[in-house]
Amino acid sequence: MVITNTISIRYLKTIGIVNNGFNGRGFANPYDVAIGPEGNIFVLNRCDPARRNAIRVGVCNLDEEYLYEFGYGFGDGDGQMMLPVAMAFDAEGRLLITDEHTNRITIYSDEGEVLGKWGQKGESEGEFNGPAGIATDSSGTVYICDQRNHRVQKYTADGMFLTQWGSQGTRAGEFNLPWGLGLDADDNVYVADWRNDRIQKFDSNGHHLKTIGDSGVEEDQLIRPSAVSIDQSGNIYVADWGNERLQVFNSEGKVMASLRGEATLSHWAKDFFESNPDEMETREISDLNPDVPDHLNNPYHISSQTEPFFWGPVSVRIDGNNQLYVVESNRHRIQIYEIE
Amino acid sequence: MGNKGKSLVVVQLSGGNDYLNTVVPYGDDEYYDFRKTVHIEQNKVLPIDKVYGFSPHLAPIKRLYDQGKVAVINGIGYDNPNRSHFRSMDIWHTAQPDEIGTEGWLGRVIRDLDPNAENVLTGVNFGRGLPRALGVRGVPVASVGNLDTYGLFPDIKDESAKKLALDAFAHMYGGVQGKDPVLNFLGQTGMDALKGADILRTAPQKYSSAIEYAANPIAQGMKSIAQVMLADFGTRVFYTQHGSFDTHSGEILTHAKLWDEVSGAVGDFYDDMQEHGREDEVVVMIFSEFGRRIKDNGSGTDHGSGGVAFIIGGEVKGGMYGQYPSIKEADHLEGDLHFNNDFRSTYSTIVEKWFGLDPVPIVNGHFEQFDFVNA
Amino acid sequence: MSQDVSLMAHLMRRAGFGATRNELDEYLGDGYETTVDNLLDPGESNHMPDDLIRRYHVDQSELRQLDGAGAYWLYRMLTTSNPLEEKLALFWHGLFATGYAKLNQARALLNQIDMFRQYGFGSFRDLLVELSRDPAMILWLDNNENHKEAINENYGRELLELFSMGIGNYSEHDIKECAKAFTGWTLKNAEYMSVRASKDSIWPYGRIAWHYEYRADDHDSGEKKFLGEVGNFNGEDIVDIIVTQEPTARFLSTRLFQYFASDEVDDDGVEVIKEMMDSYFESGFKVSAVLRTLFNSDYFKSEKCRYSRVKGPVESVVGTARLAGSYQEPTLDVHSLWAQTMFMGQGLLAPPTVEGWHEGVEWIDSGSLVERINFAAKELSDPTKGGVQDIIRRVTSGYKDFIHAENLVDSCLDFMGPIQVGANTREGLIEFAESLGELQLKNGKTDQDGSAQVARLIGMIASTREYQLA
Repeated sequence: MVITNTISIRYLKTIGIVNNGFNGRGFANPYDVAIGPEGNIFVLNRCDPARRNAIRVGVCNLDEEYLYEFGYGFGDGDGQMMLPVAMAFDAEGRLLITDEHTNRITIYSDEGEVLGKWGQKGESEGEFNGPAGIATDSSGTVYICDQRNHRVQKYTADGMFLTQWGSQGTRAGEFNLPWGLGLDADDNVYVADWRNDRIQKFDSNGHHLKTIGDSGVEEDQLIRPSAVSIDQSGNIYVADWGNERLQVFNSEGKVMASLRGEATLSHWAKDFFESNPDEMETREISDLNPDVPDHLNNPYHISSQTEPFFWGPVSVRIDGNNQLYVVESNRHRIQIYEIE
Repeated sequence: MGNKGKSLVVVQLSGGNDYLNTVVPYGDDEYYDFRKTVHIEQNKVLPIDKVYGFSPHLAPIKRLYDQGKVAVINGIGYDNPNRSHFRSMDIWHTAQPDEIGTEGWLGRVIRDLDPNAENVLTGVNFGRGLPRALGVRGVPVASVGNLDTYGLFPDIKDESAKKLALDAFAHMYGGVQGKDPVLNFLGQTGMDALKGADILRTAPQKYSSAIEYAANPIAQGMKSIAQVMLADFGTRVFYTQHGSFDTHSGEILTHAKLWDEVSGAVGDFYDDMQEHGREDEVVVMIFSEFGRRIKDNGSGTDHGSGGVAFIIGGEVKGGMYGQYPSIKEADHLEGDLHFNNDFRSTYSTIVEKWFGLDPVPIVNGHFEQFDFVNA
Repeated sequence: MSQDVSLMAHLMRRAGFGATRNELDEYLGDGYETTVDNLLDPGESNHMPDDLIRRYHVDQSELRQLDGAGAYWLYRMLTTSNPLEEKLALFWHGLFATGYAKLNQARALLNQIDMFRQYGFGSFRDLLVELSRDPAMILWLDNNENHKEAINENYGRELLELFSMGIGNYSEHDIKECAKAFTGWTLKNAEYMSVRASKDSIWPYGRIAWHYEYRADDHDSGEKKFLGEVGNFNGEDIVDIIVTQEPTARFLSTRLFQYFASDEVDDDGVEVIKEMMDSYFESGFKVSAVLRTLFNSDYFKSEKCRYSRVKGPVESVVGTARLAGSYQEPTLDVHSLWAQTMFMGQGLLAPPTVEGWHEGVEWIDSGSLVERINFAAKELSDPTKGGVQDIIRRVTSGYKDFIHAENLVDSCLDFMGPIQVGANTREGLIEFAESLGELQLKNGKTDQDGSAQVARLIGMIASTREYQLA
């Protein structure tokens, strides 16, 4: 494991545009992103209630070509989704998606064919109460945050229960509504312990190794972290949802970078403005980075007014090329950075 | 009041229907220049003439057009087009483009058709909540979500339990309860609601037809309208809506599906009326709050202005009315189609020629009328 | 004792959305006057936490659309421990009616409601100044189009006509001067925001929220004559003058009276309003002082004041859901609760025009009445709901093996409110209870069937005419 002291994270581009329709290019409250076996970008659309039947996974690439999408509508039938949270590809290139309302893990092929599912509501093994973050290791083992049971569960690639750890609380090894989950190169498990405002690191058997972050807005603090990803050097990237930012810690837990977001126009966004010059003209004379008044001076409000900033950064992912993806549910886009 | 037996069915296409892909200027090359992605293939269009034709997803409406029963109102709109859904729909509902109107044009029609409110079922909306078009203080309009379960206590599934509840309701609302005017008004209103619901719910039972409507919401809505129409409760104004036509992305598939559903529903409805010999008594008006941009955005189209409306019925004089707007760049209105006839002209035509009422107070002014329906 | 309960229930129906028996017991412990004081000066509210809402409801995090925003405010009304704060915010929302249809910006509307919470109890002067700076109001009444070189009178006019003095108390000239004083009061990036609002644009990356900006170079700083005074007035100065006017005191007091006391103002009401106006001036225009005078008046506490208001749809929906114990945690279909308010004729955050809603008996037509009854009957006849179970427990606890229909009805009416009903209604309810068969108990407790039976009666009570009144 490398202990990094400095890091350089360079903004690359933004992909996405809001799509309020039932199909076609764009995203609707994206909640997670996963890189497919062929390098394509899979985006999980949570979709707001008004367009529930549009709930789907959209697939595009770094060149912003919208390739295809799949979904089976809103519901608890096979393949359908209600409140999808997170997804992960396993070693065989199958896509696993968690749903915190149906309490289920569904397995799809990368073309969206339904291959299997497991899970139901409950507190025992094989049961969930709001499954959220999910990650798989190189042998196919699956780790899932079981939110309202305040624990992590571990399964084989086909859904056979292996072990679990955690209970509700604030001590080490305890959780409060854990959301996201990530693995490092040594198969250590990092949990975004959402309502405890911290990241907890465990080995693959659930032994607590480290806690990073505590409640607050300072550089080394977190508010309601929703996701965690680890790069090849062991640096820890945290979607600091409540602070509307991305925090980067080294493997020791020392903060190295804090990103607020700097989105630019994606291809689809540029297409839109080409057909809508009236909006382009007034946009050009605007200050999209305004100072906000005191009573609105908190991260959520600031981001709602400042288009380039992260707003609702629910997930963070690092691909094999050291590219960093930050998924923004409120801005329907993914900001992509290069890690050096 | 007004011409007896004539009724109007309004089908609102919510979201802004794409005019260019509904009545397609397939003979105009510029259409394909502006619509590089979001267009109807030339060989798929159902031609009206050498330049214009219907989208293939309007096949049932084209069939009626060929029988001379469809008036296409081209380039319908109003001055200073508004491209916001709520505001623009309000404008169509209240016939007031320049200020915020408070009365719906159809509410006024209902009031003029039945000035003493003798029939609480003169106007019926199929959908939850009351559209502004039907809203006028003091004019009762029924809003039916589901005809079979319409009325009080729809959530009580057990028949005998429901009967007990309704009996108790009638006892409590029907009895005298002192002199308080508010309580009396509540009592009266409750009894009206009970009566109206009891009447409406008999419509499906009385209905029989060879037509099989599709299983989608607009088709079932049109079927409910047919049931109420044929039950002869004296309903003159029917309203329903379908959507969303707001196709900013993925337009080709969505627009096709929506029009398959709408045209299928309207075609089946017309056939149903014809089967019962009533096609001359009804006019269907299909409209949307605005059209869409001339240039597509790569996946769909954004809000525009200047749209199309359809008037369909046994007594309609079919054909192309208004003018198909030019899509030449020089003629664009801020990137959009230029309207050439005010929607209140169409309203006035229906109000006067079809219903025999004075249109001026209903649509807030004098507007030149079309000749698309036999009086 | 039961008079106190009745009075406290009346107070909570007016100053809040009604109270459960548990809540009433707590308020009774404090006593009437202390309760009034606490309602008027509440401190931080306990309510459903923001992070939980936004974690669960992505639409309420983003607020791209209206139903999520409406549901967000409903959650607050449903779970707040400061009921008057929300009821008063609802009052201001109806008075300074700003609607989604033109703005297409839900965040701005919710920020306005927040401003009502912050300033709603304080000085009317401060509230009007904040209102003039509120971006949603600015765009709603076109003050972003009010320029030094091209006055737009919309806000200036409505401020006087609908928000403070009422027609007949100022001249057309005053309107012009008033409008001039507010030139330059606009929002940041006004041109872009206004185009987006007019097109309902959410592209490319969703909505962009608003805040106030003052453009000094667009402000007419010249001398103005307003209501007999002369000066280089800016907006705050205009408000300073407005709030000292007697018509303003009367307007505000009357509207507060109609909202919190009675739909109709009779001779006794006129006297109360005079006292409210006195409090207005004596306290330095404080809304809380005016309300304190009203709530502590003999009129308010009198029998005649009870049930003299028709509940508005939002009041009805929230009150019913609070009684049933529904929506106390993030719930999947909460946005359909907002849709209910729409079907009933009071779509939250969507008043049709700046004149707001027509209240009182005008809330009722055959359509809205059916929606109200169906909603309340469904909520309250559900024996699995926590609030309904509480009522059933209290109702049956005084009994052993059975309850006669008459007692059952009276007991339910008592613990649901207490709710007062007329003789005919009571007769109908007793007949209904009898038709369900005699309620069997085991040591004062119901079994599953028994609970369902009592719940049906509770649902029927929620369907009465009297239940439509507050």
